[in-house]
Amino acid sequence: MGPAELSIGVGALLVAAAIAVALRVGADRRRLRRHLDGATAELQRLQTSFQHFAPTAVVEGIVAGGGSAEAARREVTVLFGDLVGFTHLSERLDPEVLVTVLNGYFARMSRAIGEHRGHVAKFIGDGLMALFGAIEPNPWQANDAVHAALAMQHALAAYNAELADRGLPTLQLGIGIHRGIAIAGVIGSHALVEFTVIGRTVNLASRVERLTRELPADILITAAVREGLDPRFTLDELPAQSVRGVADPVVTYAVRGFRSS
Amino acid sequence: MGALDAVEWEVCSLEPVRNPAAERMLRSTFGAVPPSARYFLDCRWVTGAYAALATLPVHQLSPDLTEMIALVVSQDNSCRYCYTATRATMKILGFPEARIRRLEENFLGADLSPADTAALAFARCVSRATPLACAADAQPLLAAGYSISAAKEVVVFAANSVFFNRLSTMPALPPHEMDFADRWWARLLRPLIASRMRTPRARQSVSLQPEQREGVFAEFVNALDGLSTAPRLRAVLDDAWQPSTLSQRLKGLVFAVVARGITCTPAEREATRLLVAEGMAIGEVEQALAHLSGPAVDPLEQSVLTLARESIWYRPAQLQHHARAVRAQCTREQFVEVIALTALANAVCRLSVAVDLARQ
Repeated sequence: MGPAELSIGVGALLVAAAIAVALRVGADRRRLRRHLDGATAELQRLQTSFQHFAPTAVVEGIVAGGGSAEAARREVTVLFGDLVGFTHLSERLDPEVLVTVLNGYFARMSRAIGEHRGHVAKFIGDGLMALFGAIEPNPWQANDAVHAALAMQHALAAYNAELADRGLPTLQLGIGIHRGIAIAGVIGSHALVEFTVIGRTVNLASRVERLTRELPADILITAAVREGLDPRFTLDELPAQSVRGVADPVVTYAVRGFRSS
Repeated sequence: MGALDAVEWEVCSLEPVRNPAAERMLRSTFGAVPPSARYFLDCRWVTGAYAALATLPVHQLSPDLTEMIALVVSQDNSCRYCYTATRATMKILGFPEARIRRLEENFLGADLSPADTAALAFARCVSRATPLACAADAQPLLAAGYSISAAKEVVVFAANSVFFNRLSTMPALPPHEMDFADRWWARLLRPLIASRMRTPRARQSVSLQPEQREGVFAEFVNALDGLSTAPRLRAVLDDAWQPSTLSQRLKGLVFAVVARGITCTPAEREATRLLVAEGMAIGEVEQALAHLSGPAVDPLEQSVLTLARESIWYRPAQLQHHARAVRAQCTREQFVEVIALTALANAVCRLSVAVDLARQ
């Protein structure tokens, strides 16, 4: 092999190596682009999902800067739901069964709430807090919340039938609903934040839910909820009750049903 | 296509229809019948709305910005049909894929001028209406050098996307039919198609004639005086309010419910005026708006009002589910009119910021 042939061979080798490197770089870039596209799509999906749990501007603030200082007073309807006698039940059931039963219950309740334009703000042990009108302004929030409460009751009845078929104990639900102004915002530490509402409206809704243990009703609403309510809901006024943190006794109404026609 | 791939989308609840006269009219306007228009050809005023609103001439904004507004609003609304259509249009018009991606991923971080970024943020604010946009929301845009008139144009293009997003989402028009940009014929005919698709420039300011200043929702139309959209919107509203397959009362109720939900007081006031003119008592109107039902509201109306309410901040699958419930209770012609009217109500209410701006 002469010097000329050698230099041609080396040149060809270099060209081949350059092509191989270019192809490799191209493939790496495409792979990187695919990974980036995948990550971006996942982020967008997450962002879209989170928009069901917090106002879009709040979600965007969190995505863009890792936090959101946006807080506002909003008129919201707060629904508290709690299982009656669950502590006793939890002592009797196997932990795995208990968690399965509880997860089935939460899934059904969340669906019923979501179908009526509410969102579950938090699960508290065996209870939950749902909000109506917290994410978007909602002039129909009182109707939505009470429809959701009835839907929760129906869903629980169906779930109880399933539990009974499986030889498991059935559940009983108490629901309290109140409407008023609350402060909505992202609250928590860097480790754990949530979009939620705080204030007297929330506290009273919680207290009203506790009244379902004392009064003959599974769903109780306050006068503030009744005020904006469709007259086709059938309600019974119950005697005023003293509740912690409220000066005057609170009048509540038991929701008995809805006349659809 | 990113996040919108995951958006639930039902099977289309309408079939395309033929209507030679309507097709001729659209062909004379656009050179071809827009694919989505084929689903609505049996309703005269909806076909007219397509001809009037599908390609709005632009006065002060750049045509590219109008496409970006359509993309950002459609993505925000999760309207897979319009999003796919806008994306295809942008590709045909020569937007590089990378630029479209950057806009989709986060237009705030895309390589846009501060003025364009402010315009897109404002357009999204108008579309979202959480709460309904007001003149103060346009301040960053005005500070970036936009005139009041240009800011109103942003409102118009955002509201126009709101209209077409809802028109396409409610019947779940099939998005795949708009994914044409990379098909061989689209690549081959790209320059020709692009020349047809490009947003036209308005040659001059268009003043409303005195008779065009009167009519339903005149306050909203008059706020756009000077823009070529104003007489077009006047014509669309007048046509929509002609006697048709829906009662005038139902038309008023749809507008009133959307106005109540979005807290657009001028639109609710006007819709209430129209309802009273149709013989409804104020108490009946209030009950219908407060509960989307009442003794004066029949079952079809109740179903339509629920749909109207769902259309304000919609989730596509739920909206399509409600639309199907309405479809089961009425004729095809009525259904087409219901969804178009609901879409129009959403667009008109979002124009209220233009009313605010016109006062400045």
